[in-house]
Amino acid sequence: MRLKCLGCEALARMVYLCAAKSPHIVNVELFGLGLHNTPSNLRARLQERIDAATGQKYDAIVMAYGLCGQATEGLTAREIPLVIPRAHDCITLFLGGRERYKDQFENHPGTFWYALDYIERRDDSATVLSLGADAGVSIHEAYDGFVEKYGKENADYLMEAMGAWQEHYKRAAFIDMGIGDGTAVEKAAKKESKRRGWAFDRIEGDLVLVQRLLDGDWESDFLVLEPGQQIAMTYDDDVIGCHVSGEDGV
Amino acid sequence: MSKLLEQIAVCTERGKVNKDAPYPPDMKGEDGVDELTARALADGVNPNDVLTQGLMVGMNRVGVKFSNNEVFVPDLLMAAKAMKVGMRQLTPHFESGAAQRKGAIVIGTVKGDLHDIGKNLVGMVMEGGGWEVIDLGVDTSAEQFLEAVEGHPGAAVALSALLTTTMANMEQIVKTIKEKITSTRVLVGGAPLTQEFCDKIGADAYAPDPQGALEYLEAAAS
Repeated sequence: MRLKCLGCEALARMVYLCAAKSPHIVNVELFGLGLHNTPSNLRARLQERIDAATGQKYDAIVMAYGLCGQATEGLTAREIPLVIPRAHDCITLFLGGRERYKDQFENHPGTFWYALDYIERRDDSATVLSLGADAGVSIHEAYDGFVEKYGKENADYLMEAMGAWQEHYKRAAFIDMGIGDGTAVEKAAKKESKRRGWAFDRIEGDLVLVQRLLDGDWESDFLVLEPGQQIAMTYDDDVIGCHVSGEDGV
Repeated sequence: MSKLLEQIAVCTERGKVNKDAPYPPDMKGEDGVDELTARALADGVNPNDVLTQGLMVGMNRVGVKFSNNEVFVPDLLMAAKAMKVGMRQLTPHFESGAAQRKGAIVIGTVKGDLHDIGKNLVGMVMEGGGWEVIDLGVDTSAEQFLEAVEGHPGAAVALSALLTTTMANMEQIVKTIKEKITSTRVLVGGAPLTQEFCDKIGADAYAPDPQGALEYLEAAAS
């Protein structure tokens, strides 16, 4: 098969490695982390590239993405199938399965995740990994502006009110994918956990989902959209389903 | 008299807490909600009028502007800060019955979700709308919601979720609450939610912003 992979740069090393090992011909195109900040922009960009793959002799387009704060909801397959893992976000792809993520999520809801590609590729405008919120990093940068506009006491109050969610976090987890040198990122995660009084965990990642995505092994854990079908959120353990544009039902 | 209440409304809307507050700059040195509320109460203004014609009016104006994207989160938070200073002075009057709230609402983020800024903004606007807000915080179970409703008979419940991962928990909580106390009105909100999802899980209302939640409660109560 000839596959076109559209993927998030948070998964860069994983996608490149798995593409290299795939029995198929895979062309990879990565997209910036900052696009997550405005899901509608990310969706528009991805649809534009899906559309552009039409007539390029690909057999399928594979998405190295999850639902990602609904950024992929509404994407439509054109003339060839569109394949996407049943995942809320990249943490599922790092951990290698929905069940493993669910287990982590239920037992450690207040986890701040660290992974090599995500940390080294993020810029100031990038969203906080796995949060689905844009209220994290950018707030700290807003502080000086708040002081100027509202005065120091009010700025402190606004910071506290807008950053309060961080108080509920209890753990930093570094996911080691075993690709590249993650030492510096692991060290940074440890340092941050110490500073904030969080627990620290080092978790072994699992490439299986990304490898299966690029190997064409889509039997389970993936949604294969036929031409004309659209990605829809299912609000259950399946995470996503599909419907034909303009019709109900998943 | 009504001029004083209008001043309270303006100071609430603009986030002018007290005389010393540097914000907003064009009101520097002027009295804020703190001084004005104290003066109104000292002058014998009905505490309920201070609430309904002063603080609530200001919060309503800022809430509507927030819905229309005319002002943003920091502005709403500043208004809430000013409103709370006035509310603090009204506390003894709530206790004596001289000032009355419209009803109670229990709020919290659902089990597994720790992101509370949206829920907090809703709480502030509800409080500013004259409702008693029982805030259960984050990571709230169906049992905790039920217990709070049992303690405040007739209270509505508002659930918030920010993550697609926690939306599924919302359904379970709505079902449990509706099963145990069938008359409870349940509102849902949060970035990934839609009216379609609200209908699917059997909640009574979906609100896209704090003002929408308040308006639903007002309509349901009248």
